Amino acid sequence: MAIRLSRTFILRKLHQLSGIFPLGVFLLEHFYTNSKALTGPGDFNNAVKDLQSIPYILFVEIGGIFIPLIYHAVYGLVITMEARPNNLAYPYSRNWFYLIQRITGVILFFFITFHVLNFRFGMIPGLNTVSVAHSPDQAFDIVSREFRMIPIFIVYMIGITATVWHLANGIWLFLVDWGITIGERAQRLTGYACIAFGVVLLLVGVNAAVAFIRPGGLLGGIIY
Amino acid sequence: MPSQPKTVEIHIRRRANPDSPQYWEQFEIPYRPNLNIISCLMEIQKNPVNKAGARTTPPVWQMNCLEQVCGICTMIINGRARQSCSALVDNLDQPIKLEPMAKFPNIRDLVVDRQQMFDHLRRVHAWIELDGTHDLGPGPRMDQEDVQERYAYSRCMTCGCCLEACPQYEGDNYIGPQAIAQVRLFNMHPSGKMTRQERLEGIMQEDGITNCGNAQNCVKACPMGIPLTRAIYEENRETVVHGLLGWLKD
Repeated sequence: MAIRLSRTFILRKLHQLSGIFPLGVFLLEHFYTNSKALTGPGDFNNAVKDLQSIPYILFVEIGGIFIPLIYHAVYGLVITMEARPNNLAYPYSRNWFYLIQRITGVILFFFITFHVLNFRFGMIPGLNTVSVAHSPDQAFDIVSREFRMIPIFIVYMIGITATVWHLANGIWLFLVDWGITIGERAQRLTGYACIAFGVVLLLVGVNAAVAFIRPGGLLGGIIY
Repeated sequence: MPSQPKTVEIHIRRRANPDSPQYWEQFEIPYRPNLNIISCLMEIQKNPVNKAGARTTPPVWQMNCLEQVCGICTMIINGRARQSCSALVDNLDQPIKLEPMAKFPNIRDLVVDRQQMFDHLRRVHAWIELDGTHDLGPGPRMDQEDVQERYAYSRCMTCGCCLEACPQYEGDNYIGPQAIAQVRLFNMHPSGKMTRQERLEGIMQEDGITNCGNAQNCVKACPMGIPLTRAIYEENRETVVHGLLGWLKD
């Protein structure tokens, strides 16, 4: 006989899962598309146009991104409210990771809200009123114009770093929460793997952002 | 070894009864080598006069085994939950601050009510059904590795350090590492496995295992060195396989 599942159990498992699939997978796709900017505005604009031509795009976007994103964000805030951090009395690295996961989560709540309104919908009066998704031929120029404003670029650097941290540590959390990683040695080794993954992902994310203000990205096009 | 002062200064966070507010009281006792916190409290009890020279009520605390196996003398010493019997004055910074554990109802002075942990043990069926009307014979043999892992979990003395250190635990909102480790202990046992479902249901309720935030303070705070995170992650696997995916076998 199957075991009764409590509401909290189901909500938490959905929260843990939604962070990896679809949200984590979507971040990889997002960085892939952004990286198209390394080879020039035309390639990036075509990539945006390709995404918009996905069959059933409305349902893919709502079911695959918006619903999981809103759920993960709102329930994540509920979980954060429960936290009673005690890092000064118990200053261990995992305890700091626990706190940072929650801090980056709150940062992301505001950053992603801004980012989605800004580029996806073009609903930030005074900054940008053109939706990137609906104007693929102007996509690169819209982003490039904003990234040349230093405060905006700094906001995006903080946002990218917080996102990458939250995902890299989130993968580790998913592995232990779903009972995939168990022993202490395995915890340590998967921890190193997540750090390495996070470093690579951060470099890819930052390089793609830089490509909007410097042709070819950080290395000026030596490596695409 | 640093030269010790001639006296030991102790600050105690006190409470006269469950309904009255907490307050700090300072004491000073003569230094002796090898004092532990319990012997300091006994010294104060003999002559309950605070540092200002005023006569006061003797501070109340609990103790039993005096060798860190019963867990009842647990209190917060200089900010960390630990047993007062094994906390030596020579290893502590002065003034020594003693507080009752903050995550359990405070009855009086350093005494707390830890009933919720025992309720959790009852809820997760933390025992093995062995009684019968006839001789059941010897139980099944166990793998030596399992025996060693189980021995580690069996050393839990229900002191509550893991819950005190846990940033997720407050007001009995989470069943906690202590009970989850006992679920692991009895689910690993060949006979205990027969009541596994009851235990898994016990840790899958609203205050269940998913409230773990992976801060891992529990395993660092445990005075018995129990691999608590291992137990939690093993039970994460069991609840996913038998709980979340259980319906796929129906």
